[in-house]
Amino acid sequence: MKLRTRLRRIWRVARWEVSLGSGSLDRQTLMAALVVLLCAGGVAATGAVVGLDGVSPNQDIYRVGVAADSPYHDVVDRHTALTPSQPDRDRLAAGEIDLLVVPDSSERTSTSRENGDSEVNLDVASQSTVSVVHASTQKGTAALTTFRSAIQRYNDRTMALEDNETAAYPVSVELQYRSRQSVLRDRVKTDDSGDDSDDTGITDGSATDEPNADDTDQSTNDQSGDDDTNGGSTVRTDSQREAPELAEEDSSLFERLLGSSSSSGSPAEISPPFPFSSLVLAFVFLIPMNFIIQAYGGSILNERINRRGELLLVAPIRRLDIVTGKTLPYLIVAVIATAAISDGIGGGLLSIAAVIPVALAFLAATFVGAMFARSFKELTFVTVTISVFLTTYAFVPAIFTNVTPIALISPLTLVVMELQGEAVEIGAYVFATAPFYLGSVILFLLGVGVYREEDMFTQKPVPIKFLDALDARLRGRKSVAVVSMLTIPFVFVAELLAIAVLFVLPLEVTVPLILVVVAAVEEVAKSIHIYAGFESDRFGRSASTAVVLGGLAGIGFFVGEKFTAIAQVVGLDDLPLGQAAQLPSGVTAGTTLGLLFAPLVLHMVTTAISALGARRNLRWYLVAMLVATLVHAAYNFGVVSIYG
Amino acid sequence: MIQVSGLRKTYGDFAAVVDSSFEVESGEIFGVVGPNGAGKTTTLKMLAGLIEPTAGSATVAGFDAEDPAMRHQLGFLPEESPLYEDMTPQSYLTFFADLYDVSRADATGRIDESLDRLDLEYRDRRIGDMSKGMKRKVAIARSLINDPDVLIYDEPASGLDPLTTNSVLEFTRELRDDDKTVVFSAHNLYHVESVCDRIIIMNEGRIIARGTIEEIRQQYGETTYHVFTDVDLPSTEPAGDGRRRAVVETMSEVESLQDAAETAGGSVVDIRTHEPSLEELFLDLTGRRMAGPRTAAATEPGDEDATEPATGSSAEPTAAPEEPR
Repeated sequence: MKLRTRLRRIWRVARWEVSLGSGSLDRQTLMAALVVLLCAGGVAATGAVVGLDGVSPNQDIYRVGVAADSPYHDVVDRHTALTPSQPDRDRLAAGEIDLLVVPDSSERTSTSRENGDSEVNLDVASQSTVSVVHASTQKGTAALTTFRSAIQRYNDRTMALEDNETAAYPVSVELQYRSRQSVLRDRVKTDDSGDDSDDTGITDGSATDEPNADDTDQSTNDQSGDDDTNGGSTVRTDSQREAPELAEEDSSLFERLLGSSSSSGSPAEISPPFPFSSLVLAFVFLIPMNFIIQAYGGSILNERINRRGELLLVAPIRRLDIVTGKTLPYLIVAVIATAAISDGIGGGLLSIAAVIPVALAFLAATFVGAMFARSFKELTFVTVTISVFLTTYAFVPAIFTNVTPIALISPLTLVVMELQGEAVEIGAYVFATAPFYLGSVILFLLGVGVYREEDMFTQKPVPIKFLDALDARLRGRKSVAVVSMLTIPFVFVAELLAIAVLFVLPLEVTVPLILVVVAAVEEVAKSIHIYAGFESDRFGRSASTAVVLGGLAGIGFFVGEKFTAIAQVVGLDDLPLGQAAQLPSGVTAGTTLGLLFAPLVLHMVTTAISALGARRNLRWYLVAMLVATLVHAAYNFGVVSIYG
Repeated sequence: MIQVSGLRKTYGDFAAVVDSSFEVESGEIFGVVGPNGAGKTTTLKMLAGLIEPTAGSATVAGFDAEDPAMRHQLGFLPEESPLYEDMTPQSYLTFFADLYDVSRADATGRIDESLDRLDLEYRDRRIGDMSKGMKRKVAIARSLINDPDVLIYDEPASGLDPLTTNSVLEFTRELRDDDKTVVFSAHNLYHVESVCDRIIIMNEGRIIARGTIEEIRQQYGETTYHVFTDVDLPSTEPAGDGRRRAVVETMSEVESLQDAAETAGGSVVDIRTHEPSLEELFLDLTGRRMAGPRTAAATEPGDEDATEPATGSSAEPTAAPEEPR
């Protein structure tokens, strides 16, 4: 079939899918949704017209009596929670104002005695001390606290304008946040020299063993301590020497929402190197995915319920093209949503390119789930599971952006990096997204394998359908090796996820644990399709067949495993856990020839063991796979002991 | 037009279809009958390329049944054909016309012609608002949208009222007049008998009889003679109006009865010949084969004689799963 014809049919199915999706929506529901949207839009537009800048529940809740010519009037006027009012003690007594700013402290004693109100002294930078009287109520106390905070912020902004930096900030401290790994190396060096003074890992910039030029640059140009994972310095910069009002006005809507725009000169305001706002913004990308997969999964299952999709199966169109056509509208929606979000939060093409494989993975996993699910109840469970797993997988590692290379297992880390203005190398992009791309393609192929009459419209249990899907990808013996190779992305993801989950534990515990987990994951990946082939009677159940299939699966897996060398691009093998996961497979740089081919023998032998069990029945398969896992784990321990 | 050779489909230990072989000539209506679970639907779906055979081959209009190109020559009407309820017949049929590369002008003409011939009213109505018979007519119209040479209809009149059933059966006959080849499956044997030129009878995955209905009747049916007498004889039973009736299978038995009646002082007052209906033949054929469950191991390739009833099953009884539809 010509490519053009295929593309035309795919497009027809895609249009059909759109018309089905729109047709299934009740018109009244659509109208109601439209009315709600119009109302929401109208409210927002009205707010914009009258100058409302977002919703602020604390807007002008405290009334402060302050003279218009007082230096404190500007402080009050610029704070959202405070509103200036006429200074009058009678109004304070009557509860019409919550605070009273008086220029002369001599009145304090008598007033306090008369009304029972409290009075404190505060000052604005470069101004004389004044007295503040607050109402003897909880609101008055809260107003005073807010007033203190307002003065502090005002002072910080004023000092930022000071030309004489030394006068404004007599003490300058440079902080450098360093990766855990470099701290560990420093500690080793320090221990070797017998000097324990540097154990905190926090150093003076001038005394750092390995001065980080990038960090220094970052810190001196940074405007947001919250977002700075490398620098976070308190050193003032020229760009910060702007009027206080400008500093506040120029902050973006998202920064104001997240409260991350302010940068203070006081040590109390220093934030740890946690990319909170970037993380939250990156997370926004995942929200639409959850809605899209609900619609997509429902559409796929709808085709299966009542055999609706049967007629498409007898049409002159390939199953892969049907699935492609049905998926295309949802992918397009996901891409549009991603682009819109990226544009809204200040991301670029990199963010879009990083999120698209995540969207593909969401759709692919949902497709397989919808093909396996037997009811909408099961589909709900499947989509929630997919959503939780993929969201966790994408989001949690991104928290450790710039802390550890493991963070790059998530494409969202790339988004965070872009939002922080960091450069992303092509190798890092491939490392973060390749498992998602490959995994998505393989999941779609698995789903297409059971997109057929015999599986779509039957109520087979999910494990049986999974085996059917694997079996559908088997043709001859050689295909066993190919399928083994195709499991690599999932093995890669599973192993990296194990590392990401376990790396917080002590190395003495996690390294052995990783070695066993890696062995188990790989043994399952190498042999599960062999078991599927035996169960469908695709292969004869003789011992020699099992050994041959095991050998072929081992070879395929070995070849695929070599692709994981890409992990070296981002320096994952610099980590002890990364070495633990990869060294036994011979993918770490600098391994000897023997170590390079030893895994081939290992994979062939252990998979043959599993295959010998698989040819009999499930129980024997599980027992054989346990034996294979133990052999594999023992090998891993041996290699790590010798070479680690 | 259709050649089927050694077609077999097994699900684990369960054999849905066992080494079926038959041919369908161009322009004939070919019936596939059998009890539930006989393998009819599985056979039809293998012909339509929906189910991959475990063994054997099927060619339709010169194409392998699994070749997507064959589907241009095929119109398939499954037993259950749920439609998209939110669409109108026009939009539904137009989509399938697009999928079969039918030009918009041809599609419009075929849609109108099919719906006219099927006498479908309310064409602008949502399919979900239509009656079951109207939905079935839409499904039949869809099977014709690509002007196929071969039509496979699985229970086309199932669940329809007598009027709509007659309409569908008449339409099927018209298809034959249009030189279409129709493979037709039905539980209602009267429908099969009234429409089909040739049939196969399936039971437990095997073809147990084949030919025209007359041929099957001659091959498997036994003509019986109903002999009515006006005297009471030992082999007779009351037949009303004071008459007695005996059912015999040979003319010599008829003559013996005549002699016995005369000896008793009476006579034979009426003799009627009875030909077995397809339903009686069907029950007779399949009833003898309801012995036990079948397994994939019950029959090895090459050991079958499709027209000879098998005797029992060789494997241990197992729980036979529902035939996948």
